[in-house]
Amino acid sequence: MLLEAKHLTKTFGSHVAVNGLNLQIGRGSFTALLGPNGAGKSTTMNLLIGLTTPSLGQVSYADQVKRGVVFQNSVLDERLTVTENLQIRAKQYRHVAKTKVAAVSAELGLTAFAHQQYGTLSGGQKRRVDIARALLNDPDILFLDEPTTGLDIQTRTAIWDLLRHLQRTRELTVVLTTHYLDEADAADSVYIIDHGSLVAAGTATAIKTRYAEDVLQVTSSDVDRLRARLTVAPTECDGNRLIFKLSSPQDALEVLTTNRELITTFEFRPGTMDDAFLALTGREMR
Amino acid sequence: MLAMIKRNLLLYFRNWSGVFFSLMGALISFVLYLIFLKLNMLNSWSHVPHATRLLDLWLIGGTLAITGITTTLTSLSQMVIDREKHVTADLQLTDAGPLRLQLSYLLSAAVIGVIMQVAMFAIMLGDFALTDHVTVTISQAINVLGLMVVSALLATTVNAILIQGVRTVTNLSKLGSIVGTAAGFLVGTYIPIGLLPTFAQYLVKLTPGSYVAALYRQLLMDDRLDTIFRHAPVARLNFEKLMGIRLDWSGLLTPSATYHIIGLIFIGAVILTVGPTWAKQYHQRRRLRKQ
Repeated sequence: MLLEAKHLTKTFGSHVAVNGLNLQIGRGSFTALLGPNGAGKSTTMNLLIGLTTPSLGQVSYADQVKRGVVFQNSVLDERLTVTENLQIRAKQYRHVAKTKVAAVSAELGLTAFAHQQYGTLSGGQKRRVDIARALLNDPDILFLDEPTTGLDIQTRTAIWDLLRHLQRTRELTVVLTTHYLDEADAADSVYIIDHGSLVAAGTATAIKTRYAEDVLQVTSSDVDRLRARLTVAPTECDGNRLIFKLSSPQDALEVLTTNRELITTFEFRPGTMDDAFLALTGREMR
Repeated sequence: MLAMIKRNLLLYFRNWSGVFFSLMGALISFVLYLIFLKLNMLNSWSHVPHATRLLDLWLIGGTLAITGITTTLTSLSQMVIDREKHVTADLQLTDAGPLRLQLSYLLSAAVIGVIMQVAMFAIMLGDFALTDHVTVTISQAINVLGLMVVSALLATTVNAILIQGVRTVTNLSKLGSIVGTAAGFLVGTYIPIGLLPTFAQYLVKLTPGSYVAALYRQLLMDDRLDTIFRHAPVARLNFEKLMGIRLDWSGLLTPSATYHIIGLIFIGAVILTVGPTWAKQYHQRRRLRKQ
Protein backbone atom coordinates (compact mmCIF):
# COMPACT_ATOMS: atom_id res chain seq x y z
CA MET A 1 0.00 0.00 0.00
CA LEU A 2 1.21 3.47 -0.84
CA LEU A 3 -1.06 5.13 1.65
CA GLU A 4 -3.15 3.76 4.45
CA ALA A 5 -5.50 5.52 6.84
CA LYS A 6 -6.63 3.79 10.01
CA HIS A 7 -9.56 4.95 12.14
CA LEU A 8 -9.04 8.44 10.82
CA THR A 9 -11.04 10.89 12.93
CA LYS A 10 -11.18 14.66 12.94
CA THR A 11 -13.34 16.74 15.24
CA PHE A 12 -13.81 20.50 15.26
CA GLY A 13 -15.21 21.29 18.71
CA SER A 14 -18.23 19.05 19.07
CA HIS A 15 -18.60 18.58 15.31
CA VAL A 16 -17.23 15.32 13.96
CA ALA A 17 -16.03 16.01 10.43
CA VAL A 18 -14.43 12.63 9.78
CA ASN A 19 -15.42 9.61 11.78
CA GLY A 20 -13.18 6.53 12.00
CA LEU A 21 -12.35 6.28 8.31
CA ASN A 22 -10.29 3.35 7.00
CA LEU A 23 -8.78 3.75 3.55
CA GLN A 24 -6.20 1.89 1.53
CA ILE A 25 -4.67 3.36 -1.57
CA GLY A 26 -2.48 1.10 -3.69
CA ARG A 27 0.44 2.27 -5.82
CA GLY A 28 -0.66 3.37 -9.28
CA SER A 29 -4.36 3.23 -8.44
CA PHE A 30 -7.05 5.77 -9.22
CA THR A 31 -9.30 6.52 -6.25
CA ALA A 32 -12.38 8.73 -6.14
CA LEU A 33 -13.85 10.09 -2.92
CA LEU A 34 -17.53 10.90 -3.31
CA GLY A 35 -19.94 12.51 -0.93
CA PRO A 36 -22.53 15.28 -0.69
CA ASN A 37 -21.56 18.84 0.33
CA GLY A 38 -20.24 18.89 3.86
CA ALA A 39 -19.76 15.12 3.98
CA GLY A 40 -16.13 15.52 5.03
CA LYS A 41 -14.40 14.95 1.68
CA SER A 42 -12.14 17.97 1.84
CA THR A 43 -11.26 17.33 5.48
CA THR A 44 -10.42 13.74 4.56
CA MET A 45 -8.20 15.00 1.75
CA ASN A 46 -6.41 17.42 4.04
CA LEU A 47 -5.86 14.62 6.55
CA LEU A 48 -4.45 12.32 3.88
CA ILE A 49 -2.22 15.07 2.48
CA GLY A 50 -0.99 15.93 5.95
CA LEU A 51 -2.20 19.53 6.05
CA THR A 52 -4.48 18.71 8.99
CA THR A 53 -3.49 16.55 11.93
CA PRO A 54 -6.07 13.91 12.85
CA SER A 55 -7.76 14.01 16.27
CA LEU A 56 -7.55 10.21 16.34
CA GLY A 57 -6.17 7.48 14.12
CA GLN A 58 -3.30 7.80 11.71
CA VAL A 59 -2.22 8.18 8.12
CA SER A 60 0.82 6.17 7.08
CA TYR A 61 2.72 6.48 3.84
CA ALA A 62 5.16 4.09 2.27
CA ASP A 63 8.75 5.37 2.50
CA GLN A 64 9.82 8.46 0.55
CA VAL A 65 6.49 9.23 -1.04
CA LYS A 66 6.35 12.62 -2.79
CA ARG A 67 2.98 14.33 -2.73
CA GLY A 68 1.43 16.66 -5.27
CA VAL A 69 -1.77 18.54 -4.57
CA VAL A 70 -4.26 20.36 -6.79
CA PHE A 71 -6.34 22.48 -4.44
CA GLN A 72 -10.02 23.14 -4.94
CA ASN A 73 -9.42 26.86 -5.44
CA SER A 74 -6.40 27.92 -7.36
CA VAL A 75 -3.29 28.76 -5.37
CA LEU A 76 -1.41 30.41 -8.23
CA ASP A 77 -1.02 34.16 -8.71
CA GLU A 78 -3.37 35.85 -11.17
CA ARG A 79 -0.95 38.63 -12.03
CA LEU A 80 1.98 36.37 -12.81
CA THR A 81 2.42 34.52 -16.07
CA VAL A 82 2.13 30.74 -16.24
CA THR A 83 5.91 30.33 -16.49
CA GLU A 84 6.59 32.77 -13.66
CA ASN A 85 4.13 30.95 -11.45
CA LEU A 86 5.64 27.55 -12.19
CA GLN A 87 9.23 28.73 -11.92
CA ILE A 88 8.66 30.35 -8.53
CA ARG A 89 7.02 27.20 -7.22
CA ALA A 90 9.73 24.97 -8.69
CA LYS A 91 12.38 26.91 -6.77
CA GLN A 92 10.65 26.06 -3.50
CA TYR A 93 11.83 22.46 -3.90
CA ARG A 94 15.37 21.34 -3.30
CA HIS A 95 15.73 18.80 -6.09
CA VAL A 96 13.75 20.15 -9.01
CA ALA A 97 15.81 20.56 -12.19
CA LYS A 98 15.89 23.90 -14.02
CA THR A 99 14.39 22.34 -17.15
CA LYS A 100 11.43 20.92 -15.23
CA VAL A 101 9.05 23.83 -15.86
CA ALA A 102 9.60 23.66 -19.62
CA ALA A 103 9.20 19.86 -19.60
CA VAL A 104 5.95 19.90 -17.60
CA SER A 105 4.60 22.78 -19.71
CA ALA A 106 5.26 20.82 -22.88
CA GLU A 107 3.75 17.62 -21.47
CA LEU A 108 0.54 19.34 -20.42
CA GLY A 109 0.28 21.56 -23.49
CA LEU A 110 0.78 24.89 -21.77
CA THR A 111 3.37 26.31 -24.17
CA ALA A 112 0.85 28.26 -26.23
CA PHE A 113 -0.15 30.40 -23.25
CA ALA A 114 2.98 30.08 -21.11
CA HIS A 115 3.64 33.82 -21.20
CA GLN A 116 0.07 34.86 -20.51
CA GLN A 117 -0.93 36.03 -17.05
CA TYR A 118 -2.62 33.22 -15.13
CA GLY A 119 -5.63 35.42 -14.35
CA THR A 120 -6.47 35.82 -18.04
CA LEU A 121 -6.69 32.07 -18.76
CA SER A 122 -9.89 30.08 -19.24
CA GLY A 123 -11.08 27.69 -16.52
CA GLY A 124 -9.71 24.63 -18.32
CA GLN A 125 -6.33 26.23 -19.02
CA LYS A 126 -6.05 27.29 -15.39
CA ARG A 127 -6.78 23.75 -14.27
CA ARG A 128 -4.06 22.36 -16.49
CA VAL A 129 -1.59 24.86 -15.04
CA ASP A 130 -2.69 23.85 -11.53
CA ILE A 131 -2.01 20.23 -12.39
CA ALA A 132 1.37 21.18 -13.90
CA ARG A 133 2.23 22.95 -10.66
CA ALA A 134 1.37 19.81 -8.69
CA LEU A 135 3.61 17.70 -10.96
CA LEU A 136 6.72 19.89 -10.54
CA ASN A 137 8.29 17.70 -7.85
CA ASP A 138 7.51 14.45 -9.70
CA PRO A 139 5.02 13.24 -7.11
CA ASP A 140 4.24 9.58 -6.53
CA ILE A 141 0.74 10.46 -5.47
CA LEU A 142 -1.43 13.26 -6.79
CA PHE A 143 -4.36 14.60 -4.77
CA LEU A 144 -7.03 16.64 -6.54
CA ASP A 145 -9.86 18.34 -4.67
CA GLU A 146 -12.78 18.68 -7.10
CA PRO A 147 -10.59 19.23 -10.15
CA THR A 148 -13.45 19.43 -12.62
CA THR A 149 -15.99 21.55 -10.74
CA GLY A 150 -17.27 24.44 -12.84
CA LEU A 151 -15.77 23.19 -16.08
CA ASP A 152 -17.69 22.41 -19.28
CA ILE A 153 -18.06 18.83 -20.45
CA GLN A 154 -15.28 19.07 -23.08
CA THR A 155 -12.81 20.40 -20.54
CA ARG A 156 -13.89 17.84 -17.95
CA THR A 157 -13.28 15.04 -20.42
CA ALA A 158 -9.92 16.53 -21.36
CA ILE A 159 -8.85 16.81 -17.72
CA TRP A 160 -9.89 13.22 -17.11
CA ASP A 161 -8.02 12.01 -20.17
CA LEU A 162 -4.98 13.88 -18.92
CA LEU A 163 -5.24 12.33 -15.46
CA ARG A 164 -5.61 8.82 -16.86
CA HIS A 165 -2.70 9.47 -19.19
CA LEU A 166 -0.55 10.63 -16.26
CA GLN A 167 -1.59 7.64 -14.22
CA ARG A 168 -0.49 5.28 -17.01
CA THR A 169 2.70 6.98 -18.17
CA ARG A 170 4.07 8.05 -14.82
CA GLU A 171 2.56 5.24 -12.75
CA LEU A 172 1.05 8.00 -10.74
CA THR A 173 -1.34 7.26 -7.89
CA VAL A 174 -4.35 9.55 -8.16
CA VAL A 175 -6.79 10.43 -5.40
CA LEU A 176 -9.58 12.88 -6.13
CA THR A 177 -12.89 14.14 -4.86
CA THR A 178 -15.67 14.98 -7.25
CA HIS A 179 -19.30 16.00 -7.44
CA TYR A 180 -19.78 14.53 -10.89
CA LEU A 181 -20.64 10.97 -10.04
CA ASP A 182 -20.38 9.71 -13.60
CA GLU A 183 -16.68 10.54 -13.37
CA ALA A 184 -16.25 7.95 -10.65
CA ASP A 185 -17.03 5.23 -13.24
CA ALA A 186 -13.49 5.63 -14.50
CA ALA A 187 -11.92 5.17 -11.08
CA ASP A 188 -10.37 1.90 -9.88
CA SER A 189 -11.89 2.31 -6.47
CA VAL A 190 -14.58 4.52 -5.08
CA TYR A 191 -15.18 5.56 -1.50
CA ILE A 192 -18.53 7.14 -0.69
CA ILE A 193 -18.43 9.26 2.44
CA ASP A 194 -21.36 10.75 4.29
CA HIS A 195 -21.45 12.51 7.64
CA GLY A 196 -17.74 11.81 7.94
CA SER A 197 -18.16 8.03 7.75
CA LEU A 198 -17.57 5.57 4.98
CA VAL A 199 -20.89 4.31 3.58
CA ALA A 200 -19.63 2.28 0.64
CA ALA A 201 -16.36 1.25 -0.94
CA GLY A 202 -15.32 -0.78 -3.97
CA THR A 203 -15.21 -0.48 -7.72
CA ALA A 204 -17.80 1.72 -9.41
CA THR A 205 -19.40 -1.34 -11.01
CA ALA A 206 -19.67 -3.21 -7.71
CA ILE A 207 -21.22 -0.22 -5.98
CA LYS A 208 -23.73 0.27 -8.79
CA THR A 209 -24.69 -3.40 -8.83
CA ARG A 210 -25.18 -3.43 -5.12
CA TYR A 211 -26.88 -0.10 -4.49
CA ALA A 212 -28.34 1.18 -7.77
CA GLU A 213 -31.57 -0.27 -9.10
CA ASP A 214 -32.35 -0.43 -12.81
CA VAL A 215 -35.28 1.65 -13.93
CA LEU A 216 -37.90 0.41 -16.37
CA GLN A 217 -40.58 2.72 -17.65
CA VAL A 218 -43.47 1.44 -19.77
CA THR A 219 -46.59 3.01 -21.27
CA SER A 220 -49.63 0.94 -21.93
CA SER A 221 -52.97 1.39 -23.71
CA ASP A 222 -54.66 -0.64 -20.97
CA VAL A 223 -52.95 0.09 -17.69
CA ASP A 224 -55.51 -1.73 -15.54
CA ARG A 225 -55.19 -5.00 -17.45
CA LEU A 226 -51.42 -4.74 -17.40
CA ARG A 227 -51.38 -4.12 -13.65
CA ALA A 228 -53.57 -7.16 -13.05
CA ARG A 229 -51.14 -9.40 -14.93
CA LEU A 230 -47.94 -8.09 -13.29
CA THR A 231 -45.91 -10.23 -10.90
CA VAL A 232 -43.68 -7.30 -9.93
CA ALA A 233 -45.37 -4.24 -8.40
CA PRO A 234 -44.52 -0.91 -10.06
CA THR A 235 -43.05 1.76 -7.78
CA GLU A 236 -44.90 4.56 -9.49
CA CYS A 237 -48.03 4.89 -11.66
CA ASP A 238 -48.74 8.07 -13.57
CA GLY A 239 -51.68 7.99 -16.04
CA ASN A 240 -50.80 5.33 -18.60
CA ARG A 241 -47.18 5.21 -17.48
CA LEU A 242 -45.70 2.67 -15.03
CA ILE A 243 -42.25 2.86 -13.46
CA PHE A 244 -40.42 -0.15 -12.02
CA LYS A 245 -37.26 -0.26 -9.94
CA LEU A 246 -35.62 -3.62 -10.62
CA SER A 247 -32.49 -5.33 -9.39
CA SER A 248 -31.40 -6.72 -12.77
CA PRO A 249 -32.00 -6.30 -16.52
CA GLN A 250 -33.37 -9.90 -16.55
CA ASP A 251 -36.32 -8.79 -14.43
CA ALA A 252 -37.02 -6.02 -16.92
CA LEU A 253 -36.95 -8.47 -19.84
CA GLU A 254 -39.37 -10.68 -17.96
CA VAL A 255 -41.87 -7.84 -17.54
CA LEU A 256 -41.51 -6.78 -21.16
CA THR A 257 -41.75 -10.22 -22.80
CA THR A 258 -44.65 -11.54 -20.78
CA ASN A 259 -46.74 -8.40 -21.42
CA ARG A 260 -45.56 -7.40 -24.88
CA GLU A 261 -49.02 -7.01 -26.41
CA LEU A 262 -50.10 -4.56 -23.69
CA ILE A 263 -47.01 -2.34 -23.89
CA THR A 264 -46.93 0.55 -26.37
CA THR A 265 -43.50 2.04 -25.52
CA PHE A 266 -40.80 1.34 -22.99
CA GLU A 267 -37.53 2.72 -21.72
CA PHE A 268 -34.86 0.87 -19.78
CA ARG A 269 -32.05 2.57 -17.90
CA PRO A 270 -29.42 0.65 -15.95
CA GLY A 271 -28.69 1.94 -12.44
CA THR A 272 -26.19 4.82 -12.40
CA MET A 273 -23.77 6.08 -9.82
CA ASP A 274 -26.30 8.86 -9.12
CA ASP A 275 -28.90 6.22 -8.14
CA ALA A 276 -26.43 4.42 -5.88
CA PHE A 277 -25.38 7.70 -4.37
CA LEU A 278 -28.94 8.80 -3.63
CA ALA A 279 -29.76 5.36 -2.22
CA LEU A 280 -26.77 5.64 0.10
CA THR A 281 -26.90 9.27 1.14
CA GLY A 282 -30.59 10.12 0.86
CA ARG A 283 -32.40 12.89 -0.99
CA GLU A 284 -32.11 15.49 1.69
CA MET A 285 -30.17 18.66 0.77
CA ARG A 286 -27.18 19.59 2.87
CA MET B 1 13.69 32.39 -0.65
CA LEU B 2 14.89 34.66 -3.50
CA ALA B 3 12.16 33.28 -5.75
CA MET B 4 9.51 34.13 -3.16
CA ILE B 5 10.93 37.63 -2.70
CA LYS B 6 10.83 38.10 -6.47
CA ARG B 7 7.23 36.88 -6.48
CA ASN B 8 6.15 39.30 -3.75
CA LEU B 9 7.86 42.21 -5.51
CA LEU B 10 6.24 41.31 -8.84
CA LEU B 11 2.82 41.03 -7.19
CA TYR B 12 3.23 44.41 -5.51
CA PHE B 13 4.49 46.34 -8.52
CA ARG B 14 2.15 44.73 -11.09
CA ASN B 15 -0.81 46.00 -9.09
CA TRP B 16 -0.66 49.69 -10.03
CA SER B 17 -3.69 50.76 -8.09
CA GLY B 18 -2.32 48.89 -5.07
CA VAL B 19 0.98 50.78 -5.37
CA PHE B 20 -0.89 54.08 -5.60
CA PHE B 21 -3.11 53.35 -2.62
CA SER B 22 -0.19 52.19 -0.53
CA LEU B 23 1.27 55.67 -1.07
CA MET B 24 -2.03 57.36 -0.20
CA GLY B 25 -1.03 58.33 3.36
CA ALA B 26 2.21 59.84 2.10
CA LEU B 27 0.58 61.62 -0.84
CA ILE B 28 -2.09 63.09 1.41
CA SER B 29 0.60 64.43 3.70
CA PHE B 30 2.46 65.95 0.75
CA VAL B 31 -0.56 67.43 -1.00
CA LEU B 32 -2.13 68.64 2.25
CA TYR B 33 1.09 70.46 2.98
CA LEU B 34 1.30 72.01 -0.47
CA ILE B 35 -2.30 73.20 -0.49
CA PHE B 36 -3.10 74.12 3.11
CA LEU B 37 -0.49 73.63 5.77
CA LYS B 38 2.54 75.27 4.20
CA LEU B 39 1.13 78.82 4.23
CA ASN B 40 -0.31 78.40 7.67
CA MET B 41 2.92 77.18 9.17
CA LEU B 42 5.00 79.75 7.36
CA ASN B 43 2.94 82.50 8.94
CA SER B 44 3.78 81.27 12.41
CA TRP B 45 7.49 80.92 11.51
CA SER B 46 7.87 84.13 9.54
CA HIS B 47 10.63 85.35 11.83
CA VAL B 48 12.80 82.34 10.96
CA PRO B 49 15.04 82.96 7.92
CA HIS B 50 14.60 80.51 5.01
CA ALA B 51 11.58 79.10 6.78
CA THR B 52 10.17 77.68 3.52
CA ARG B 53 13.12 75.42 2.81
CA LEU B 54 13.30 74.38 6.42
CA LEU B 55 9.64 73.39 6.45
CA ASP B 56 9.95 71.61 3.11
CA LEU B 57 12.71 69.42 4.52
CA TRP B 58 10.69 68.89 7.70
CA LEU B 59 7.80 67.63 5.63
CA ILE B 60 10.02 65.30 3.60
CA GLY B 61 11.19 63.68 6.86
CA GLY B 62 7.69 62.95 8.13
CA THR B 63 6.34 61.85 4.76
CA LEU B 64 9.17 59.37 4.25
CA ALA B 65 8.35 57.82 7.63
CA ILE B 66 4.68 57.49 6.57
CA THR B 67 5.74 55.97 3.24
CA GLY B 68 7.78 53.36 5.07
CA ILE B 69 4.82 52.40 7.23
CA THR B 70 2.08 52.22 4.60
CA THR B 71 4.01 50.56 1.77
CA THR B 72 5.45 47.81 3.95
CA LEU B 73 1.98 47.15 5.32
CA THR B 74 0.56 46.78 1.80
CA SER B 75 3.34 44.38 0.88
CA LEU B 76 2.84 42.33 4.05
CA SER B 77 -0.85 42.01 3.13
CA GLN B 78 0.25 39.33 0.70
CA MET B 79 0.84 37.14 3.76
CA VAL B 80 -2.82 37.37 4.79
CA ILE B 81 -4.05 36.98 1.20
CA ASP B 82 -1.90 33.86 0.82
CA ARG B 83 -3.20 32.40 4.07
CA GLU B 84 -6.80 32.99 3.00
CA LYS B 85 -6.31 31.62 -0.53
CA HIS B 86 -4.52 28.48 0.79
CA VAL B 87 -1.31 29.51 -0.96
CA THR B 88 0.36 29.03 2.41
CA ALA B 89 -0.92 25.44 2.53
CA ASP B 90 0.49 24.85 -0.95
CA LEU B 91 3.87 26.26 0.05
CA GLN B 92 3.82 24.27 3.28
CA LEU B 93 4.09 21.12 1.15
CA THR B 94 7.31 22.31 -0.49
CA ASP B 95 10.81 22.17 0.99
CA ALA B 96 10.76 25.89 1.83
CA GLY B 97 9.78 25.68 5.50
CA PRO B 98 7.73 28.22 7.46
CA LEU B 99 10.67 30.31 8.70
CA ARG B 100 12.17 30.94 5.29
CA LEU B 101 8.70 31.67 3.98
CA GLN B 102 8.03 34.28 6.64
CA LEU B 103 11.45 35.86 6.17
CA SER B 104 10.78 36.17 2.45
CA TYR B 105 7.57 38.13 3.17
CA LEU B 106 9.40 40.38 5.64
CA LEU B 107 12.39 40.99 3.36
CA SER B 108 10.28 41.74 0.31
CA ALA B 109 8.22 44.20 2.38
CA ALA B 110 11.43 45.90 3.51
CA VAL B 111 12.75 46.10 -0.08
CA ILE B 112 9.45 47.61 -1.22
CA GLY B 113 9.58 50.04 1.71
CA VAL B 114 13.01 51.26 0.62
CA ILE B 115 12.12 51.53 -3.08
CA MET B 116 8.94 53.47 -2.37
CA GLN B 117 10.71 55.82 0.05
CA VAL B 118 13.33 56.52 -2.63
CA ALA B 119 10.52 57.24 -5.07
CA MET B 120 8.69 59.57 -2.68
CA PHE B 121 11.98 61.29 -1.79
CA ALA B 122 12.67 61.92 -5.47
CA ILE B 123 9.15 63.24 -6.08
CA MET B 124 9.16 65.58 -3.09
CA LEU B 125 12.72 66.78 -3.51
CA GLY B 126 12.13 67.34 -7.22
CA ASP B 127 9.09 69.46 -6.51
CA PHE B 128 10.70 71.47 -3.72
CA ALA B 129 13.87 71.98 -5.75
CA LEU B 130 11.82 73.53 -8.53
CA THR B 131 9.56 75.67 -6.36
CA ASP B 132 11.67 76.55 -3.34
CA HIS B 133 15.22 75.74 -4.52
CA VAL B 134 15.66 73.13 -1.81
CA THR B 135 18.83 71.07 -2.11
CA VAL B 136 20.47 68.27 -0.16
CA THR B 137 24.16 67.42 -0.08
CA ILE B 138 25.47 64.08 -1.30
CA SER B 139 26.37 63.00 2.23
CA GLN B 140 22.85 63.89 3.39
CA ALA B 141 21.39 61.85 0.55
CA ILE B 142 23.56 58.86 1.47
CA ASN B 143 22.58 59.12 5.12
CA VAL B 144 18.93 59.43 4.17
CA LEU B 145 19.26 56.30 2.04
CA GLY B 146 20.70 54.43 5.02
CA LEU B 147 17.90 55.66 7.21
CA MET B 148 15.38 54.47 4.59
CA VAL B 149 16.65 50.95 5.16
CA VAL B 150 16.31 51.34 8.92
CA SER B 151 12.87 52.87 8.49
CA ALA B 152 11.72 50.05 6.19
CA LEU B 153 13.02 47.31 8.48
CA LEU B 154 11.41 48.85 11.55
CA ALA B 155 8.08 49.48 9.83
CA THR B 156 8.08 45.94 8.39
CA THR B 157 8.57 44.21 11.72
CA VAL B 158 6.14 46.46 13.61
CA ASN B 159 3.51 45.98 10.88
CA ALA B 160 4.13 42.24 10.97
CA ILE B 161 3.02 42.25 14.61
CA LEU B 162 -0.14 44.15 13.68
CA ILE B 163 -0.89 41.77 10.84
CA GLN B 164 -0.42 38.60 12.90
CA GLY B 165 -3.93 38.81 14.30
CA VAL B 166 -5.57 39.47 10.92
CA ARG B 167 -7.12 36.41 9.27
CA THR B 168 -9.21 37.82 6.43
CA VAL B 169 -8.57 40.18 3.57
CA THR B 170 -11.64 42.25 4.55
CA ASN B 171 -10.24 42.97 7.99
CA LEU B 172 -6.89 43.63 6.41
CA SER B 173 -8.23 46.46 4.26
CA LYS B 174 -9.88 47.94 7.36
CA LEU B 175 -6.53 47.83 9.15
CA GLY B 176 -4.89 49.35 6.06
CA SER B 177 -7.26 52.35 6.07
CA ILE B 178 -6.77 52.89 9.80
CA VAL B 179 -2.98 52.76 9.55
CA GLY B 180 -2.93 54.88 6.41
CA THR B 181 -5.04 57.58 8.03
CA ALA B 182 -3.48 57.45 11.46
CA ALA B 183 0.16 57.30 10.34
CA GLY B 184 0.24 60.97 9.33
CA PHE B 185 -0.95 62.07 12.75
CA LEU B 186 1.06 59.52 14.70
CA VAL B 187 4.42 60.47 13.23
CA GLY B 188 3.53 64.16 13.69
CA THR B 189 3.44 65.13 10.02
CA TYR B 190 -0.08 66.50 9.52
CA ILE B 191 0.24 68.54 12.71
CA PRO B 192 3.59 69.16 14.48
CA ILE B 193 3.79 67.23 17.74
CA GLY B 194 4.21 70.40 19.81
CA LEU B 195 0.76 71.64 18.81
CA LEU B 196 -0.96 68.46 20.00
CA PRO B 197 -2.52 67.97 23.44
CA THR B 198 -0.43 66.02 25.96
CA PHE B 199 -2.23 62.70 25.48
CA ALA B 200 -1.78 62.85 21.71
CA GLN B 201 1.88 63.64 22.24
CA TYR B 202 2.18 60.41 24.23
CA LEU B 203 0.57 58.53 21.36
CA VAL B 204 3.07 60.01 18.94
CA LYS B 205 5.94 59.00 21.20
CA LEU B 206 4.51 55.47 21.37
CA THR B 207 4.62 55.22 17.58
CA PRO B 208 7.90 53.72 16.36
CA GLY B 209 7.62 55.68 13.10
CA SER B 210 7.88 59.02 14.87
CA TYR B 211 11.47 58.23 15.91
CA VAL B 212 12.29 57.50 12.29
CA ALA B 213 10.64 60.78 11.28
CA ALA B 214 12.70 62.59 13.92
CA LEU B 215 15.94 61.11 12.58
CA TYR B 216 15.04 62.05 9.01
CA ARG B 217 14.37 65.60 10.13
CA GLN B 218 17.68 65.74 11.96
CA LEU B 219 19.58 64.44 8.94
CA LEU B 220 17.93 66.87 6.56
CA MET B 221 17.64 69.96 8.74
CA ASP B 222 20.60 69.96 11.14
CA ASP B 223 23.02 72.01 9.05
CA ARG B 224 20.37 74.65 8.40
CA LEU B 225 19.33 74.74 12.05
CA ASP B 226 22.98 75.21 12.98
CA THR B 227 23.12 78.39 10.92
CA ILE B 228 19.71 79.74 11.76
CA PHE B 229 19.90 79.21 15.53
CA ARG B 230 23.63 79.89 15.88
CA HIS B 231 23.02 82.54 18.51
CA ALA B 232 19.83 81.18 20.03
CA PRO B 233 20.35 77.64 21.39
CA VAL B 234 17.24 77.77 23.58
CA ALA B 235 15.04 78.80 20.69
CA ARG B 236 16.51 75.90 18.73
CA LEU B 237 15.58 73.41 21.43
CA ASN B 238 12.05 74.77 21.52
CA PHE B 239 11.81 74.56 17.73
CA GLU B 240 13.12 70.99 17.72
CA LYS B 241 10.67 69.96 20.42
CA LEU B 242 7.73 71.68 18.78
CA MET B 243 8.40 70.20 15.33
CA GLY B 244 9.32 66.70 16.50
CA ILE B 245 12.86 66.98 15.20
CA ARG B 246 13.93 65.51 18.51
CA LEU B 247 11.46 63.78 20.73
CA ASP B 248 11.17 64.64 24.38
CA TRP B 249 11.63 61.91 27.00
CA SER B 250 12.37 64.03 30.07
CA GLY B 251 14.86 65.91 27.91
CA LEU B 252 15.32 65.86 24.15
CA LEU B 253 16.69 62.58 22.79
CA THR B 254 20.09 62.62 21.13
CA PRO B 255 20.40 60.92 17.73
CA SER B 256 22.18 57.94 19.23
CA ALA B 257 19.50 57.56 21.92
CA THR B 258 16.89 57.65 19.16
CA TYR B 259 18.77 54.93 17.22
CA HIS B 260 18.93 52.85 20.39
CA ILE B 261 15.18 53.12 20.89
CA ILE B 262 14.61 52.11 17.27
CA GLY B 263 17.02 49.20 17.67
CA LEU B 264 15.25 47.94 20.76
CA ILE B 265 11.80 48.18 19.15
CA PHE B 266 13.17 46.35 16.10
CA ILE B 267 14.66 43.52 18.15
CA GLY B 268 11.46 43.21 20.19
CA ALA B 269 9.33 43.13 17.05
CA VAL B 270 11.55 40.51 15.41
CA ILE B 271 11.28 38.30 18.49
CA LEU B 272 7.50 38.68 18.50
CA THR B 273 7.03 37.91 14.81
CA VAL B 274 9.79 35.50 13.85
CA GLY B 275 10.06 33.85 17.28
CA PRO B 276 6.79 31.86 17.14
CA THR B 277 7.51 30.66 13.58
CA TRP B 278 11.02 29.63 14.54
CA ALA B 279 9.72 27.73 17.58
CA LYS B 280 7.08 26.00 15.43
CA GLN B 281 9.64 24.93 12.85
CA TYR B 282 12.05 23.78 15.56
CA HIS B 283 9.42 21.55 17.16
CA GLN B 284 8.29 20.23 13.78
CA ARG B 285 11.84 19.24 12.85
CA ARG B 286 12.41 17.63 16.23
CA ARG B 287 9.22 15.62 15.92
CA LEU B 288 10.22 14.47 12.43
CA ARG B 289 13.68 13.43 13.63
CA LYS B 290 12.15 11.38 16.43
CA GLN B 291 9.87 9.47 14.06
